[in-house]
Amino acid sequence: MSFNRSMVRTSVFLILLLSVSSLAAAAFPAKQGFVNDYANVIDQKSRAEMQLLGEKLWTEQGIGLAVVTVATTAPMDPKEYTTALFNEWGVGGPEDSGLLMLLAVSEGAIEVEPGYGLEGALPDGLVGAVIDQEGLPHFKKQSYGPGLSAMAVAYANILAGEEFEIVEERDEARGWFVSFVIFILIFMMMRRGRRYPPGGSGGYGGGGPGRTVIVPRMPRGGGFGGGIGGGSRPSGGFGGGRSGGGGAGRRF
Amino acid sequence: MKKGVIVLIVIAVIAVALVSGVIGRYNQLVALEETVDGRWAQVENQLQRRADLIPNLVNTVRGYASHEEQVFADVAEARSRLLGAQTPEAQIQANQGLDTALGRLLAISEAYPELKADTSFIRLQDELAGTENRIATERMRFNESVQTWNTTIRQFPTNLLANLMGRQAKPFFEAAPSAMEVPRVEF
Repeated sequence: MSFNRSMVRTSVFLILLLSVSSLAAAAFPAKQGFVNDYANVIDQKSRAEMQLLGEKLWTEQGIGLAVVTVATTAPMDPKEYTTALFNEWGVGGPEDSGLLMLLAVSEGAIEVEPGYGLEGALPDGLVGAVIDQEGLPHFKKQSYGPGLSAMAVAYANILAGEEFEIVEERDEARGWFVSFVIFILIFMMMRRGRRYPPGGSGGYGGGGPGRTVIVPRMPRGGGFGGGIGGGSRPSGGFGGGRSGGGGAGRRF
Repeated sequence: MKKGVIVLIVIAVIAVALVSGVIGRYNQLVALEETVDGRWAQVENQLQRRADLIPNLVNTVRGYASHEEQVFADVAEARSRLLGAQTPEAQIQANQGLDTALGRLLAISEAYPELKADTSFIRLQDELAGTENRIATERMRFNESVQTWNTTIRQFPTNLLANLMGRQAKPFFEAAPSAMEVPRVEF
């Protein structure tokens, strides 16, 4: 274990060295607009939803949204790539009000980074919670477009001032355990109920600890017809925004 | 008589050129030094932010693993050393100490599934990871400015002026060979 750890440490150090030196040489793809699907994993419906959302955010609040999918971020680490890409593209307006969502397919990584101007509205913990609740369930099924779209909707709602409810338990095993205990309790109550003289039926406990969670969602508009050409419309959302490497990420 | 005037004018022109050259270099050095200081202030901001997160993190972990007192004490000590550090060098060193202590604190969570699933712990971990990424970004920007500074003050003839001003090469903020890497456990 300890021998392993020192090896891990050395290799991490080497990777850090390599990635720092590669940083200067890295070339980024040209931006296409709000949705930049270089990995070709976003379906038409999700693309249209995010495109619409991006325009709305940009015209109404001056917030630049950039959704990016890449096959890989090698030789960079996904987080490092996200920060570098954010600043290279200048996501968001001059108030640094940009939000970059990057999905790297072969790394199985999702990274979300707000610009300096959005760090207050989108603290890292909240950014991570949205990934956990809106993105990961989709990404684990390789359904990338809907996951990214659901996340974008959640972030837009938060930026519009709505509250995002964080689900208390994300551990499924614990959820099962709770249901099991409730089941046992009900079962015991039923048995106890039987001992009473007929007529008075044993009370069933009220609703168990509810796990219903209201996550505000935008109404899903009717499907947009044909695809929206990437280059045909003015690509807003880029105005020299900068970021400092905040945000959150997950591997799936 | 006429010759003397011409010589005087030539000397004056050379002197003006020299002086304005020196002024230009001087201003360049001042601007560069300001950049380095400004970037360092950004690094300090993020170090401070990280230190501010730690009490909450420790309290959350303590709620599930109250008997790990030694680790909590180490973290608290490393944190106060960071907050007390005066010079950039001392801050960098104290930060590395905090890396190690935090690494051990987060390693605890591996042994407590309930802690790992705690929403506020997850949020704090996100905040901490985000802050660490910010430190990495600001550190990179700081190092870039230091490199520009160090290159400039070593080049001729700026090195003469830098010597006169008593300015020296500044140290880089080296990344600690990732003591923070917590072994990732997937189920």
